[in-house]
Amino acid sequence: MSLLTVSNLTKRYRRDKKAIAAIDDVSFHIDPGETLALAGPSGSGKSTIARLVLRLIEPDAGRIDFEGNDFLALSGAALRARRARLQMVFQDPLAAFNPRATVARVLDDPLRIHGIASRSERPRRVAELLERVGLTADLATRAIHEISGGQRQRVAIARAIATKPSLIVLDEAVSALDVSVRGQILDLLLDLQRQERIAYLFISHDLGVIRAIAHRVVLLDAGQVAESGDARTVIDAPQSAIGKALVAAVPRLNRIIRQDPT
Amino acid sequence: MSPLRRFLRAPEAVAGAILLAALIAMALSASLLFPGDPQAIAGPALLPPFQDWSLPLGTDRLGRNVLAELFHGARTSLAVGLAAAAAALVVGAVIGTLAGFAGGLVDEVLMRITDAFQTVPSFLLALAFVSVVGPSLGVVVIAIALGTWTGPSRVARAEVLSIRERDYVAGARVIGMHPMAIAFREVLPNALPPVLAMSSVIVAAAILTEAALSFLGLGDPNRVTWGGMISEGRTVLRTAPFLSIVPGIALVLTVLGVYLAGEGIVETTAVRRGLS
Ligand SMILES: Nc1ncnc2c1ncn2[C@@H]1O[C@H](COP(=O)(O)OP(=O)(O)OP(=O)(O)O)[C@@H](O)[C@H]1O
Ligand SMILES: [Mg+2]
Repeated sequence: MSLLTVSNLTKRYRRDKKAIAAIDDVSFHIDPGETLALAGPSGSGKSTIARLVLRLIEPDAGRIDFEGNDFLALSGAALRARRARLQMVFQDPLAAFNPRATVARVLDDPLRIHGIASRSERPRRVAELLERVGLTADLATRAIHEISGGQRQRVAIARAIATKPSLIVLDEAVSALDVSVRGQILDLLLDLQRQERIAYLFISHDLGVIRAIAHRVVLLDAGQVAESGDARTVIDAPQSAIGKALVAAVPRLNRIIRQDPT
Repeated sequence: MSPLRRFLRAPEAVAGAILLAALIAMALSASLLFPGDPQAIAGPALLPPFQDWSLPLGTDRLGRNVLAELFHGARTSLAVGLAAAAAALVVGAVIGTLAGFAGGLVDEVLMRITDAFQTVPSFLLALAFVSVVGPSLGVVVIAIALGTWTGPSRVARAEVLSIRERDYVAGARVIGMHPMAIAFREVLPNALPPVLAMSSVIVAAAILTEAALSFLGLGDPNRVTWGGMISEGRTVLRTAPFLSIVPGIALVLTVLGVYLAGEGIVETTAVRRGLS
């Protein structure tokens, strides 16, 4: 059974008294431990889908099933409790944290809110989390703006895995990082997936990265699914117009595909 | 450059700080230098200043020591000014945060209440409140805060409206934080700087309002207030003008000191925020 099933999801925004569909009848599913990539041109609705799946905004129509339950039916305390299983990593790791927070507080919050560890036990858990993502425990006392962008994104990942989620949504989570750091963070994500069977909804405009780490891909165009399927199959031989355009826009990718025919 | 260094480079801020320091020193030393009731009779009535060195500023119509009254009055002014401003800032920040963060009907209702308070001139509101409830220090504080909290409330709401769209608020929701905890732990502290920037004006205005209420006889009757002193001096304005002039000057210097020092602090910290 799939972990997340999104069915006929629709979200409209009002613009000049007209309702424009940012997301129009989108369906997809993610299996446990799987990476599903979401790609598409700017404004195609990728972030809107992320926010809908995380219940940060509400859809106008459609259904979301998560871990076998109607996720849209949850509210209040029940929704907050279920959020432990569904986490997110944002694009800009600086904007994603309270500017006044310290690393320790950022990691302590989810442990406290979901009652995962007692007060006395939490500092040790925080240190463990930092080590899980390849950071040293002494970073805990630093303010969030006192660490590097790469370290910050590792802290964001540590926060996301603190509650042992089954699915993490990553909206352009590596786009803001420079290339060498990006590779390390992707390796970390793959490690975590292997060890904990976490599924990812991986939003990116980088088809090279998607081809390297995603199992399947959904290509969006103007709020609709243009094409979906096995990541390599779709990227190596896109069928839709938008798929062809996206692939053609990445010269580096054509080189990768030619060197590595699978 | 550290904020303190920058503060010390602004002459008006330093002047304000000196005035404020003098006022605080007066308020703190009032009971030490002038123990006992400042409203007790200390000498002959209407003694002019600089005649008798045990009564340097002379005495009023009833023979009370003007200098002692001035020191004890500094206490009332400062206490009421700070307490009223603090109450206004806290109430305003909390209501503004709730309105901005909750949105929808809650926002609508809270902002209509804010409008209602804002349409009534704040001095009339204070006047009416004290007249109805009766003059005492606490009532005067509430009365002044009642007409002042709307400003901080609007500023806090505007700030919260922009902060609540930030990623880190979405992040707090994603980890399952309670909306009230998000509003008051995550959002409010970051909305505070522009609200606190209003405090110098608010404290200065509160001190003036307190003086005005006392002048009209609506201050706490058991305490010496500068407004009350000015009002009493008025009856002998021709023969003993110093009785009104001395507390009047004290009032002007205090308001000026509070304003200049407050603006100096805001300025230096705002510059720091702008640079970082
Ligand atoms: N709050 C909003 N109000 C009105 N329109 C919105 C809002 N949020 C998004 N939209 C619109 O919905 C569409 C999809 O936006 P979305 O942010 O999901 O795109 P995206 O695929 O994430 O783009 P990008 O790659 O640039 O991040 C866009 O046309 C956008 O203008
Ligand atoms: Mg986006």
